Amino acid sequence: VPAGGASLRLCSTRGAPEGINKPVIDRIIRVDHAGEYGANRIYAGQMAVLGRSSVGPIIQQMWNQEKDHLKKFNELMVAYRVRPTVLLPFWNVAGFVLGAGSALLGKKGAMACTVAVEESISDHYNNQIRTLMEEDPEKYKELLQVIKQFRDDELEHHDTGLEHDAEA
Amino acid sequence: VRCQHYPPLRALQASAVLGRVSDEHKKEPLTSSSQQHFDSHPAGHQPEEEPQGPRPSYTGQGGQESEDYESEEQLQHRILTAALEFVPEHGWTAEAIAEGAKTLGLSVAAAGMFHSDGSELILHFVSECNTKLSELLEKEQKLVQLGKAEKKPVDEFLRDAVEARLRMLIPYIEKWPQALSVLLLPRNIPSSLNLLSSMIDDIWHYAGDQSTDFNWYTRRAVLTGIYNTTELVMMQDSSPDFEDTWRFLHNRVADAMNMSSTASQVQSTGEAVVQGLMGAAVTVSNAETSRALR
Repeated sequence: VPAGGASLRLCSTRGAPEGINKPVIDRIIRVDHAGEYGANRIYAGQMAVLGRSSVGPIIQQMWNQEKDHLKKFNELMVAYRVRPTVLLPFWNVAGFVLGAGSALLGKKGAMACTVAVEESISDHYNNQIRTLMEEDPEKYKELLQVIKQFRDDELEHHDTGLEHDAEA
Repeated sequence: VRCQHYPPLRALQASAVLGRVSDEHKKEPLTSSSQQHFDSHPAGHQPEEEPQGPRPSYTGQGGQESEDYESEEQLQHRILTAALEFVPEHGWTAEAIAEGAKTLGLSVAAAGMFHSDGSELILHFVSECNTKLSELLEKEQKLVQLGKAEKKPVDEFLRDAVEARLRMLIPYIEKWPQALSVLLLPRNIPSSLNLLSSMIDDIWHYAGDQSTDFNWYTRRAVLTGIYNTTELVMMQDSSPDFEDTWRFLHNRVADAMNMSSTASQVQSTGEAVVQGLMGAAVTVSNAETSRALR
């Protein structure tokens, strides 16, 4: 180690809103985007198998909501200049396979898959809400609102899955 | 402003030496800047109570400028900026840094704060160039938003941005190959890669890229390739005003545009072929069924 190992702060000007904790927000948005993308593909897989069955319309409706979620995260990603996860092609395939695979087990299988996925997504969103609240609820008000809304939507999907799981 | 912050591992001795030396020159009093970072002082360091003379103000160098002390980082930035003037003559070396320190009224021992291979000087220069580029692109964007300028097509935008950035090397072009090799030292790779990728990301951002899928990576990888190869061509270019380099750049960007349109053509051809095959399969299975029913 040379004497006096200097260390400089090298700044690159990135147009990020002032004062936000960029690494934390980056991670949150990237993970959520990947999650919604994966959820989309799961529902697509389920629709491919069960699209014409009696649960088809229900799955379609939940899928449409996930599409909205994904759209929102696409917007946030551009606004905060977050890079998407490099694993997108993988989630593309894995999500579809999971959805189609669980649907091939029948309606119960598909609904059970939905219940499990939505439960873990809601947990995940709750953790993020906690993190953001600990950081600064005021600064991240908009993002918190979005995540809370989406968490409620996912819980609804979870309950829908339970309903139909029990019925079928 | 997004900064890559490296925790200061400053040896107190260096700034103490500077303080003492500048005492002798009675030019650059360093008051207790070191106290901010460390709790204990080496014996013999006498922090000054009163700054002598008016404190010069520094603009656009980052860091906090509060009360009347200058952070170590700001001092380093100032020295390195002053050293750039001497790079064409001395190269990216401790000599250039020493000369720069002298112009600020500091001792040549200030060069001891930095690595002898000029790493910090080069990284500082790259960082400054990137900042200048971002400011330039920001200004252009504002003009477009105000309607005072036309929005450039993507290929022209990329060409102009890369050219603008590479032109900043021209005053130092003789010594730039040396800098490139230093940037590739394993110790410097994280920093230099970071600076490169954030510069490329900036260019795409101002070019209007809004991709949220794998294209995000493809575009940046392609532009990085264009930038690096053009930079290398520039090192060996002896044409007037580097016109060969800009022609090379023009061709590479055009190639990239072609590639992306070819890719989408391939994709639509692929989709058409798949549909054709599906149609054929359905027709065949229908024919089989009707034959079986006959």
